[in-house]
Amino acid sequence: MTDWAHLIDLEKCTVSPRVFVDEEVYRDEQERVFGRCWLYLVHESQLPNPGDFVTHYMGEESVLVCRTASGKIRVFLNSCRHRGTRMCRLDAGNAKAFTCPYHGWTYDNQGRLIGIPQFKEAYYEELNREDWGLIEVPRVESFRGLVFACFDENAQSLDAYLGDMKWYLDLIFNKTKGGMVALPGLHRWNLGGNWKLAAEQFNGDNYHTGAAHESMLKIGLGPANGQFLGDQPWVRDFEAKLDNGHGWINFKIDMAGGVPTPLAQHMERMQSTARQRMTRAQSELVGCVHVGNVFPNFSILTFLGFLTIRVWHPRGPHNMEVYSWGMIEQEAPPEVVEIARKMQILTFSPSGIFEQDDGEMWGNSVKALRGMHRRNFPLNYQMGAGHGRTDPDKPGLIHPPSTEIGIFGVYEQWQALMGGA
Amino acid sequence: MMNAADRIRLRHEFEELLYHEAWLLDNDKLEEWLELFTDTLRYWAPVRGNLEPGREDLSRPHLLAHFDDDKTSLTLRVKRLRTGAAHAEEPRSRIRHFVSNVQILETDGPARVKVGSNFQVFRSRWEGTEHLFVGCREDWWRRIDNTWRNEERFILLDHNVLENMTVFF
Repeated sequence: MTDWAHLIDLEKCTVSPRVFVDEEVYRDEQERVFGRCWLYLVHESQLPNPGDFVTHYMGEESVLVCRTASGKIRVFLNSCRHRGTRMCRLDAGNAKAFTCPYHGWTYDNQGRLIGIPQFKEAYYEELNREDWGLIEVPRVESFRGLVFACFDENAQSLDAYLGDMKWYLDLIFNKTKGGMVALPGLHRWNLGGNWKLAAEQFNGDNYHTGAAHESMLKIGLGPANGQFLGDQPWVRDFEAKLDNGHGWINFKIDMAGGVPTPLAQHMERMQSTARQRMTRAQSELVGCVHVGNVFPNFSILTFLGFLTIRVWHPRGPHNMEVYSWGMIEQEAPPEVVEIARKMQILTFSPSGIFEQDDGEMWGNSVKALRGMHRRNFPLNYQMGAGHGRTDPDKPGLIHPPSTEIGIFGVYEQWQALMGGA
Repeated sequence: MMNAADRIRLRHEFEELLYHEAWLLDNDKLEEWLELFTDTLRYWAPVRGNLEPGREDLSRPHLLAHFDDDKTSLTLRVKRLRTGAAHAEEPRSRIRHFVSNVQILETDGPARVKVGSNFQVFRSRWEGTEHLFVGCREDWWRRIDNTWRNEERFILLDHNVLENMTVFF
């Protein structure tokens, strides 16, 4: 494979446009990034019972995620071993077995080939079924109910891979006893743009909010002081660059016009519960706006009581497909769930009044970067470089918004994976 | 029970109303469009999916949706488009609504009618981006001061994977 390390300049903090538009780079990325990293699949609350399954993607691979009778979650390529046909065409359901619609090979939810039509007459019973089970994704591990899988059987554990990101994920997923549960349904939509442009924005781009989301400020659905920055730099309002290319944005805003009373009361309750469950440094951050990305393509955003978690599936260098779910604290009363759900739909969904504008930007970037001349000129990721600090209270390299220290970490990690022959 | 002539008259009245609504949307008269809705409006478009027959239960509590607006949030969407900074609609897309299959589904006295219709909405964006949204609507219209006002719009989009949705249905 090609050594793509030269596309990232670590000293100058620049990135070649080819990272976002080049077909060859994209092809290698499928193997070297998506083939090696832990990829998010599903929350355990979405597979509560034995036999429950969902279909999903890991990069461009269609996968079948099954809760087996023993309660274990196993992940298989959603492709029959006979002719490769996509077997399961449903998004979710409950099944003991899956039958390929083409010739009828049948597999149980542990991937074993259990049925072959005309096994005696056509195969003379000579086919060894054990050799032809579903192709299994070798590593499946979870953190706080978030299930990830990895194609690389020698990969480090999910726990080690997430590293310091766990401290930040806990601000959301461990603040109450019941944790977070998924709402039914999935927002699924196509967007122009390379998947990394979305991932890097959630990793640490607070800088875009003033321009890209200017319309929100103009209609009064934004911070009272007109800035998505907060007022306690370094302490509560910061961005964190974390190992393995992960990143986190944290800030508190007072919404113009306030938030609905039941939601405000709910958020206060969550904060007081959190104080009993985590360190003081952590609990003081609970209830802030949190935005983050687990490298490569799993992002989270919590804002005004809702939580969206999403995966930016690569669809060629110039397009992506978004899977986005809604989550809420298991303890939230139905009235609060409805406020949060409607707020998520209004702001961060295919029709979301924040989301629409982000979706416009990423497509615009790749359209402009595709030019054979444009791609010779690097992109600038220098903001704040060298000005990050460590903090005894929280992990990572810290800098107040805005900075590109964390974002450039995405490309440092990308380079580490895409470099070498 | 309505007689056939009344039924035809009523359907014709709503065909004209729905064509007028489409004309408002296609000609960027969104503030006038908002006036068609009551203050108690629910404007709702649940998500779809590929599920086993009978399992797509759109009444599941807390199901995600593409829209779940009241009059206030729908008005906010329109106001945002007027800021000059709603980048996904700057410059404005070329949008065309086609309405068909208009049916009177139900009546609740003379002043409340449930009307079904199918739609296709074409959006041409910027250079080459073109999207087609297809679905149906079920509307509850109420006659208030001699004018029909929409108090509930249920939108069923026939899409599983959507696009950036800046249009109204």
